[in-house]
Amino acid sequence: MSQTVLVCDDAIFMRTMIGDILRQADYDVIGEAETGVEAVDRFTELKPDLVTMDIVMPDMGGIDAVREIVKIDPSARVLMCSAMGQQALVVEAIQAGAKDFVVKPFQPSRVLEAVQRVLA
Amino acid sequence: MDPAKYADLFLDESREHLAVINNQLLVLEGRPDATGSVDAIFRAVHNLKGMSATMGFSGVARLSHAIENVLDLVRASPDPPDQELLQLLFQSADRLEQSIDDAVNGRESTDVNQAIAPLDSFAGSFQPVDAETESQPPESPPTAPAGTRRLEVRIRRDALLRGARAALVLQRVAALGNVLAVSPPQTSMETQAFDGRFSFGLQTDQSDLEIEELIRGAGDVESVTIAEAGTDTKESTAARHVRVDLRRLDAIMKLVGELTTAKAGLIELAAGRSDPTLEAMTRKVSHLVEGLQHEVIQARMAPVSQVFDRFPRGVRDAAREHGKQVVLAIEGREIELDRAILDELSDPLLHLLRNAIDHGIETPEERVASGKPAAGRITLSAHRERAMIVIRVRDDGRGVDRDRILRKARERQIPGQNADNLKTEELLELLAQPGFSTASSVSDLSGRGVGIDVVMTRLRSIGGSLDMESEVGRGTVFTLRLPPTLAILPALIAEVGSERYAIPLTHVAETVDLDARSTTRDGETDRLTVRHGTVPLSRLRDLVQLDGTGPTRQPVIIVQVGERRTGLVVDRVVGQRDIVARAFDMPRGTAPFFGGATVLGEGEPVLILDAARLV
Repeated sequence: MSQTVLVCDDAIFMRTMIGDILRQADYDVIGEAETGVEAVDRFTELKPDLVTMDIVMPDMGGIDAVREIVKIDPSARVLMCSAMGQQALVVEAIQAGAKDFVVKPFQPSRVLEAVQRVLA
Repeated sequence: MDPAKYADLFLDESREHLAVINNQLLVLEGRPDATGSVDAIFRAVHNLKGMSATMGFSGVARLSHAIENVLDLVRASPDPPDQELLQLLFQSADRLEQSIDDAVNGRESTDVNQAIAPLDSFAGSFQPVDAETESQPPESPPTAPAGTRRLEVRIRRDALLRGARAALVLQRVAALGNVLAVSPPQTSMETQAFDGRFSFGLQTDQSDLEIEELIRGAGDVESVTIAEAGTDTKESTAARHVRVDLRRLDAIMKLVGELTTAKAGLIELAAGRSDPTLEAMTRKVSHLVEGLQHEVIQARMAPVSQVFDRFPRGVRDAAREHGKQVVLAIEGREIELDRAILDELSDPLLHLLRNAIDHGIETPEERVASGKPAAGRITLSAHRERAMIVIRVRDDGRGVDRDRILRKARERQIPGQNADNLKTEELLELLAQPGFSTASSVSDLSGRGVGIDVVMTRLRSIGGSLDMESEVGRGTVFTLRLPPTLAILPALIAEVGSERYAIPLTHVAETVDLDARSTTRDGETDRLTVRHGTVPLSRLRDLVQLDGTGPTRQPVIIVQVGERRTGLVVDRVVGQRDIVARAFDMPRGTAPFFGGATVLGEGEPVLILDAARLV
């Protein structure tokens, strides 16, 4: 059975792209979220194996969402999606409990490497 | 040797010893049986004696000797020192400081004898019960934690966000045990200069293999070296120090700054010609320059404790003078800042602390009457917040009384202030006006008309900002935000017409496109809808009074200072550069929103926008 992923990003473009990369590698994208609040709700409901999380989102940012998710499930596996120049935020996310990160613009191979590391 | 050459060093180190003396006296005042404090004071005084004798400052040496004699008796006595003796020691510490200042400035103190007399007479009258038992208190050696290993990790050179990758490694190993002495500190890993190499101690009973596997699992790890740290970690991790004149570091920093500018020029040159040899050499040079820059910045960092530790004594004295009871709590002493910034901080912080004692904290009677503990609490704290260092002075006093300030503003006919819509920031600006102070009587400490304006000017000159929050009856918090280093800061270069301006990246939240559909008009200001609400827009073209209109698609740079945001409309964002801010004497009439100047690689001078003035 393939592993399940929840994709959180406020841009449809990014969600579609990440989703495609993951689906082509046989992961099962079981849900999407556009805001931090939604991400936490969907996580609770779907219990995915992996969450990809954008840092900047409306209605609770990605970092706070990571904090909430880790509170709900300390073993949650969250992969941060960041842009260049967000290093300090990424560090904050890691300290909040994120397990790895990828940097936009995404290279499919890098995304998959990170996903494999997190799910290992 | 020529003692004159060592005068600065002497003064520097003397201040450290004086800080120890004052702080430990404060400890003793609270707990007279703290023998460790007596020993610490004794060591400091003893060092001062030796140093001053070497410098030929005989007055200082004699005074230190007299203090040392008294302390010796205190150490030998089974009774803790009483208030009278502590008062004598406090006074002597003041005299000692004065005599050191005098000596360094070439004035031999005349009243050293006056200071020595009461010490000698105390020593003469002192009858120790058991003077022979002069034993050195055994200092328990630090026990070395077992199983400590020293690790060196190298992140791949082509990895993105190497600093974040390093943070991931540290986060993972923290699950195995205690992580000690991370070098370089995490603050500097987040700078561009971080080359991906770092080391730390790890206390764990896991095998080397398991540790390495876990670290490699963080991704982008090039190499891991693990070594036994030996039984005494103190020895292996303790750095060997040498004192360097700050001016020499400044000179090196300035040269590195020039080198950084030249490097940028070289990169642009190489980009213009497709010559692989030139490109390879350029990469090599820029890598070396970045490494050098990183090392120099590290050499300039010092913990805030160097300044914070000077305050307890001043706070105690100020509280006494005003008949207030104050407890000073210090947090985040280990946070590091550029020495040059640290030096600039001493006066503004002292000012804020005195302000808190004088205007913030109420008298014990008032406090008890309003249901608070008799002693007021002032917290001086330092911590990191993203790329900035944040220092807060928080008191639990009466808060800032808006009505009183407004009354005062009206008396002075400062226009445009209206009680209903006065925001805290405006209040602060008002308080910051030269000569504006609400102290009803002029005291020795504050209220001399030198107010928050001095603090703000000082802070702006080093690229920082100051905010205030206050709640009547609950207290006031002053928040200082500072760049961790003065030296080199990443900045966004923006263009209007053919002019370029730099905006420090520490204050840039994001850049978005100006979209007419998400712009609304609110009275005189346009507001742009971005993710978390709307921000007021200002146009750089208008600010710099440039005629004409920009291109149809204009980017907006969202500038953020604390909680305040504004959108700055520019023609074009050129890109990100490391800039070296230069001291900049503003010609009269220069627009107030410029904070300095820099030179780009091409040799083009560029003005730096002061974010705090824009929002």
